[in-house]
Amino acid sequence: MKDKIIASLKRLNIEEYIISITSYKSAQMFFVKKSLDCKRAENTKTYNVNVYRSFEKDGQKMKGNSSVYVYNGMTDAEIDASLSRAYLAASFVCNPTYDLMECTENKFITMESDLFNYTLEECCEKTAEALFAEDNREDVFINSAEVFAYESNVEILSSTGIESGYTKRSVSGEFVAQCKEPQDVETYKDFRYNDLDCESLKAKVRQTLEYTIDRAKATEAPKAGKYRVIISDSYVNDVFSYYSGRAQAGYIYAGYSTFEVGQNVQALNADGEVAEVKGDKVSMTLVPTEPLSYEGIWQRELELLDNGVLKTYYGGLRFSRYLGIEPTGFFGCVNVAPGTMSVEDMKKQPYLWVVNFSDFQMDDFTGHFGGEIRLAFLYDGEKVTPVTGGSINGSILDSQTNMHFSKEIQKSADFVGPYAMCFEDVPVAGV
Amino acid sequence: MKVKESEYLKLKKPILKKLLEKLLAKYEYASILANDSKSTNYRVSKTGTNISEDGTLSERGFCVKVYDNGKAAEYSFSAIEEDTVDAVFDEITKRLDTLGKTLPEGVTAFGFDGVEDEKLYINESTEYEVDPEEKGDNNIIDLLTRISEKGRAYDEKIIDCSVAFSYQKYSKIFLSRNKDLTQNVMWSCGYIVAMAKDGEEIQNGYKPVSMLGGIEVLDTLESNLADACKTAIELLSAEPMIPGEYDCICEPDVTGMIVHEAFGHGVEMDMFVKDRAQAKEFIGKQVASELITMHDGASTIPQVATYFFDDEGVAAHDTIIIEKGILKTGICDAQSAMHLGVAGTGNGRRQDTTRKAYTRMTNTIFEAGTSKVEDMIASIDYGFLLCQASSGMEDPKNWGIQLMVDIAREIKDGKLTGKIFSPIVLTGYVPDLLKSISMISDSIEAGGTGYCGKGYKEWVKVSDGGPYIKARIRLG
Repeated sequence: MKDKIIASLKRLNIEEYIISITSYKSAQMFFVKKSLDCKRAENTKTYNVNVYRSFEKDGQKMKGNSSVYVYNGMTDAEIDASLSRAYLAASFVCNPTYDLMECTENKFITMESDLFNYTLEECCEKTAEALFAEDNREDVFINSAEVFAYESNVEILSSTGIESGYTKRSVSGEFVAQCKEPQDVETYKDFRYNDLDCESLKAKVRQTLEYTIDRAKATEAPKAGKYRVIISDSYVNDVFSYYSGRAQAGYIYAGYSTFEVGQNVQALNADGEVAEVKGDKVSMTLVPTEPLSYEGIWQRELELLDNGVLKTYYGGLRFSRYLGIEPTGFFGCVNVAPGTMSVEDMKKQPYLWVVNFSDFQMDDFTGHFGGEIRLAFLYDGEKVTPVTGGSINGSILDSQTNMHFSKEIQKSADFVGPYAMCFEDVPVAGV
Repeated sequence: MKVKESEYLKLKKPILKKLLEKLLAKYEYASILANDSKSTNYRVSKTGTNISEDGTLSERGFCVKVYDNGKAAEYSFSAIEEDTVDAVFDEITKRLDTLGKTLPEGVTAFGFDGVEDEKLYINESTEYEVDPEEKGDNNIIDLLTRISEKGRAYDEKIIDCSVAFSYQKYSKIFLSRNKDLTQNVMWSCGYIVAMAKDGEEIQNGYKPVSMLGGIEVLDTLESNLADACKTAIELLSAEPMIPGEYDCICEPDVTGMIVHEAFGHGVEMDMFVKDRAQAKEFIGKQVASELITMHDGASTIPQVATYFFDDEGVAAHDTIIIEKGILKTGICDAQSAMHLGVAGTGNGRRQDTTRKAYTRMTNTIFEAGTSKVEDMIASIDYGFLLCQASSGMEDPKNWGIQLMVDIAREIKDGKLTGKIFSPIVLTGYVPDLLKSISMISDSIEAGGTGYCGKGYKEWVKVSDGGPYIKARIRLG
């Protein structure tokens, strides 16, 4: 099929293109309580062709592009028809011209992972085994779970000579923990690892089961007001997405973000004025989860923020070219430097520690963050009470100059950084 | 005009029948779902123009489902030819036989006693006026560009105006021992997002359109442009909400989000199988005001989630979930129906052929009432008109509400004051909110520009909506 696509591109005189070929193999298991309810296997392959067309409009050089999928079993005539329609469509896409990624080095690599020591079926089964290993209590249990083991094989070919690719494995899934007494409650958690990290998964299950017991005891919502709020686990990563979102080349080019390289972006308030950063300063590195982007960019770690100061913009090919920066691609993982305060230190003053939201949202346009509280621990200075209900309605623009990060860290496939963070005076809608 | 059947699937059908025959010789039940789907997204904004096939919705793929001694298993693949039927069959049986040999301690594989496969033949197509492919990419981009440029010129605070159109045209066939089903469907949708900026704050005004059909959906898009821009600018001066419980009027899109997120997810009966939904205990009981009748179904209204059979070969239904405040039933996929001993409702849907089918909503609505919107607003001493639903999350277990809307317009002494608050989080207990509904407007609006996930994945196209409703709601 690859040769048929290239032959078609030649027949149609399409000079610039990027072809992405992705093969997936997977093994999947779906559990309800202690039953395997369904199992699945997959073996699929997709071909995506992005065609580019250079032209002039009103005296300005343009480059349009359009992408289509080509499928196994398509005849030469069908491929020609699909690609020629895409090529025509590209002539209506009036974007200022830019250069495609040059070929610097062609190679095919297999990303390191101990998952390659097993078959996909074994990866799936061993992950399921780790997931259920902690499910041995009577008061709380795993209600349902899904486990996936994936192998993806990606190949990128371009008109500029790129012919590279990689093979990657991962395991992922989700589970719901349930506790029936004193009230029937549940907690949802998902997971993703690039190695067979059974111990991390067991720890996640263990903690989720504990939190679910706490939630079963929680009946009251916190009173409405402003609180010193602590969040932990994956919600910490969500908050930091504000900085990575606003530093994207696309946001900068469009004027959605006023972040400037060399500027202390953590010191900006809602009016765009600079304030003193009294809390911990954000130091952040972007880490690729795939070595090669779909545009043929070999990806490497990128320092984004150093003590709140923006070091660089980042992004895909087109907007990076427009801004005159090196194209970096996009990043699936963020590393954030931990703070100096321990979680125990954070908990010395009154706090509302939210350990589970129904759905936490961080809006990198408005800076608002929040969500409904599924489980939080409220410390009023005397005692700790589990609470549920109400919602957090904060703004990073109001909070970022006075937030603290824990020195304890968490690790997952998409985040390495503080386990918890703390904000002052966050509005909470409660009873 | 009717959407045409896929030539690709016509060619593959006899090959798939051969594969089915081999599978039925080994397993007591086997079915094959084949999908030929094309979806294209068009978007114009200040940052540029984009035309691309949608990677989530476009596919040519196949999904085999078998029951092996009552145990469910599936295999997804993307290629089959006349001369590869045996090889595909061998791969299916090898992979499925291997997986699940070792199960966690204490876990067993569930097996059904028997699998029903009722006789059914369907060959249907939806209708459209203008096929986007015939309209031409240049004409589509020209129209979107004109609206986008007009939006960007609306006010100096508008920093961008993104205008988009997308459509999906798909053909599916479903084959089993007793079923031979074909359907051809096309939906279209579009939206305007106007973005306004002041300091570091960016706000947006959003106006969507959607329908079962073709590019004729864009006929009404431009008339929403000024509203989108005005809303974005208004939001820059919005005040934070003072938390509390208020009398509220919900616009139809907010009603739709309540119908879908707050209640609809709770009656997905795969959640009943897992004991994850409180609704299971409330069948036959009052869960809402007597004014409320709620439907879900692929045949309920013609919208983006309309089809003739689901991804498990069950014919489309119009299910009445709540009738005059009483919870009558939930909605169901085929395997959950087997677990529960009930009939499927045609709600077994897959994101694509590489994904499992779950119980999923389709077109979900509240029926209209008899009140006039102006009378509803006039009935409020102090409260809010809630507009522009932005996101929501289900909580079937506890019926907790988490819904976000962008705008609360203040109502004082029965009149809108012009003052607005944002962002707004709606919280509370679902039956409390539904029972508090005291007025319902006399017509409904439904739309479906977004997608619905199961948890945080498995995206499918849905529509929702209803009338304006008046209810008592906790806002934060």
